[in-house]
Amino acid sequence: MAERRHTDIAVIGAGPAGMAAALTLSEAGLRPVVFDMNATPGGQIYRQLAAPQVDATLMGQEYIAGRSLVDAFVTADIDYRPLSRVWWLDRDGEGYVLGVLQQGHSQQWHADRLILASGAMERGWPFPGWQLPGVMYAGAAQILLKQAALLPSAAPILAGSGPLLYLLAWQYLQAGRPPALVLDMAPASRYRTLMRHPVRAWHGRSYLLKGMRLIADLRRAGVAIRQGVSGLRASGSDALERIHYRHAGTWRSLPGTLLLTHFGVVPEPQLMRSLQLRQHWQHEQQCFVPDRDATLSAGTNLWIAGDGGGIGGARNAEREGHLAGFAAIASLGRQPTKRRSATTRRLLAARRRDLAARPLLDALFRVPEGWLAEQPPETLVCRCEAVTRGELDEAIAQGGSGPNQLKAFTRCGMGPCQGRQCGESVTRLLASRTRRSPDDIGYYHIRPPVHSITLGELAADDFDNTNN
Amino acid sequence: MFRRSERARQPGRCVAIRLDGEVVNVPDTLSVAAAVLHVHGWRGYRRHLDGTPRAPLCLMGVCQECLITIDGLPNRQGCLEPVREGMVIERQGDDPHG
Repeated sequence: MAERRHTDIAVIGAGPAGMAAALTLSEAGLRPVVFDMNATPGGQIYRQLAAPQVDATLMGQEYIAGRSLVDAFVTADIDYRPLSRVWWLDRDGEGYVLGVLQQGHSQQWHADRLILASGAMERGWPFPGWQLPGVMYAGAAQILLKQAALLPSAAPILAGSGPLLYLLAWQYLQAGRPPALVLDMAPASRYRTLMRHPVRAWHGRSYLLKGMRLIADLRRAGVAIRQGVSGLRASGSDALERIHYRHAGTWRSLPGTLLLTHFGVVPEPQLMRSLQLRQHWQHEQQCFVPDRDATLSAGTNLWIAGDGGGIGGARNAEREGHLAGFAAIASLGRQPTKRRSATTRRLLAARRRDLAARPLLDALFRVPEGWLAEQPPETLVCRCEAVTRGELDEAIAQGGSGPNQLKAFTRCGMGPCQGRQCGESVTRLLASRTRRSPDDIGYYHIRPPVHSITLGELAADDFDNTNN
Repeated sequence: MFRRSERARQPGRCVAIRLDGEVVNVPDTLSVAAAVLHVHGWRGYRRHLDGTPRAPLCLMGVCQECLITIDGLPNRQGCLEPVREGMVIERQGDDPHG
């Protein structure tokens, strides 16, 4: 491997948080290195926004609102490195060492300071048949829409719980491809939740109104919506053929070739876990989140910004990116300018206001904690190693009391996704079977490489050197 | 399958790729996985080690269900590789790879 490169500050991720952090640093005269897995900046939410494939009337204003941030990012003096996977991250004195894989070539970097903005991922949520071709995440379908204006050839069925479900249904409606059916699996008690928390409802009014508008548009267009759906199954031989759902206590089924599911998003845990950063179970968000202080610091010279630190949405991620940037600048011993102090205060106030609405959204779209424990035993939990809920329960019955034991007993979490899609399911199942808290159960030990890397890639020369 | 919307911004630029031996033109903003979903759909995308058929789930670099052979290298994450002119792509639909 080539010699180690050095940077004052590295940012991992080029979504709203990473872009905002890099811009703040760049405005202060620093030149951060930004590593991002994707080919273009924007993360998932602002994907393809540097060269949009679809217009605002189709995608909604939230998408287009990111344009100024993306434009500022691509024109600023930032060492932006797309198609770069950080597969290894460790402490190195007061700083960090990063193993980076950029288009088949590996590099080693030392960063004095690090801002982690690696974002969120769809929550893995096992149900029978979710491994069948024809079952995809709603987020994946939206990526196809953003990447090249791709729409399903036949009307899809959407199922799950969360704002993205209705947003995608609405976008498909605008594009002339309305879904055949929306299966809303949010808790039936959602309106009681609203009545119980009028103050939170007021804080979250813009989100609530937007959701109600989307649903009203869909209903007006004649899109069938079933609310209070409490069970979901997919069946077929080589691909999805039928969708089964439980509504008002009765199982119904219908033919379908494409089922798009969404059960919320959770922080992408791998790099934080591989650094052994402290995490805690966030009951409202129903996932592990990293411990951070008021300056978003999660350790020496380390800040976590955006959804990777807890789900707050794109606008919040952008604010946190700026805040993490300011905190990193302050750590260099620079006196804060008047403008920087004022901006920080304004961002903190906006963040507080915005996050005040979150617990309500979390409650409206809560997923049932006991879900997996009630799924049929043949339900795959670990898709990579094809480990079922029944096999995990056998291992628990034989004394498996922690995620790492279950991994050793069953290979659950040992496949190429490295537990990203089954990790919290295993924590949940253990919590419900052994009547302990998720914090008590914990999570898999995550070790590098956090991305698959071949020996050839590891041995390949430094990308920039080979291009000289 | 996923078709291109009539509402797509025009003109879209395309690249020619060789997909399972056949030359096809696809929008140049697509990932390899997205291009396969566009041309062939999810049927026949990949076969898991246990023999079951699989296809992309997340398209954002997490799930590893989009593994595919690109320019002779098996098990590449198709959702993270943009299509390039002349790229040779083979689905792992029949032959499970390690």
